[in-house]
Amino acid sequence: MVNRTRMLPFQLAFKTGVPAYEQVVYAVKKAVICGALKPGDRFPSVRAMSQELRINPNTAHKVVAALVNERLLEVRPGIGTVVADARPATREQRRELLGEDVEQVVVEAKNLQLDMQDVIEAVQQHWDRLSKEEKP
Amino acid sequence: MNHVIETQGLARRFGNTDAVDRLTLAVPEGSIFAFLGPNGAGKTTTIKMLLNIVEPTSGTATVLGVDSRRIGPREFAKIGYVSENQKLPEWMTVGQLIEYCRPMYPDWDAAFCAKLREQFDLPLERKLHQLSRGMKVKAALLVSLAYRPKLLILDEPFTGLDPLVRDEFIRGVLELSDEGNWTVFISSHDIDEVERLADWVGIINSGTLKLAESAAELQARFRKIECVVAETTRLPAMLPKTWLIPEMAGHTVRLVDSGYREEASEAEVRQVVPDATQITASAMSLRDIFLALARTYRLGNTTEVK
Repeated sequence: MVNRTRMLPFQLAFKTGVPAYEQVVYAVKKAVICGALKPGDRFPSVRAMSQELRINPNTAHKVVAALVNERLLEVRPGIGTVVADARPATREQRRELLGEDVEQVVVEAKNLQLDMQDVIEAVQQHWDRLSKEEKP
Repeated sequence: MNHVIETQGLARRFGNTDAVDRLTLAVPEGSIFAFLGPNGAGKTTTIKMLLNIVEPTSGTATVLGVDSRRIGPREFAKIGYVSENQKLPEWMTVGQLIEYCRPMYPDWDAAFCAKLREQFDLPLERKLHQLSRGMKVKAALLVSLAYRPKLLILDEPFTGLDPLVRDEFIRGVLELSDEGNWTVFISSHDIDEVERLADWVGIINSGTLKLAESAAELQARFRKIECVVAETTRLPAMLPKTWLIPEMAGHTVRLVDSGYREEASEAEVRQVVPDATQITASAMSLRDIFLALARTYRLGNTTEVK
């Protein structure tokens, strides 16, 4: 039996409307920050990414080029593309990754005619609940 | 930009029917071009004209720089073609089919062919007529990919294939993605399989090309607009030309704007529907765009969607 599928080392479920390119770049950044991708890890080829995610090879190529350009990935001759040695992400960078999700919450809150205080309280509530679950 | 396929006023009449009516189209080199349209829209006739299988009634088509009427073995050695109704020499085994095709293509890559055959689980000794439909399509794709064609033309390749084979098929096609300047022209009545894969989209309906543009541009200009109105009166009779399939349910108005521009579109909604509140514009998948257009054509709007 031939192994046809190669699991990608990052998680991604596509959303409608956001360009695939942006979503893949975002997923890789998140995987690096969360430690799912560590410095020196092999990064999938354009062909493998295109096959696994069913994205246009040109899009996959653009993703790799952008991440190499941002020094998250580096090309090692004879090996391929690997995750670069990088300083741990700053708080600022990690916060930036949250931006999209926050925007969605704000839009929904406005549609429901809630104000900022309502949102803060709701966030606080969920924060406390999840913190409790983490500590047995 | 180089174009791998270019047509000018390409037309074909069968009796009194314009199967394809003055089709002008350009397929950029290096793209995956999805040629979409309902069944009977003229997709297959177009492809057959491109490949010199059907002669055009008028107009011209150029494929890999050569007039389609003059396409011969030299060009076919660089074009891969898999169609829904492909005739294979059924009495041959998979191995015989490979050996039969191989001498026709100077660029045949035996190692690549062997790798693909293994991926596709195609048994060499099995006769083609003993294979399932999915296996036959994979065999046809195998002998169309093995010479690493510059242009791959796929005519409704997914019809009658189960999801697993569809997946294998697409993976096979993407094996070529290491090649530079490699182009895929794929016709389908179903966009699901090519969403995110196609970077160019053409839509044909009743023989007429409705649009052809990059998927990025298409997705930038289409938005689903929703708003809430205070009064449930009817929408004005005269609506902006870019609005498709406007509907109203309760106090909610919904439409598809095919000419979306960030602030201008919201202003337009306020102008046409003065009591509109909670105006939202959401991005659409290619599938939803295609469905909105298909519904528009069926509603009798035969003008080009601009």
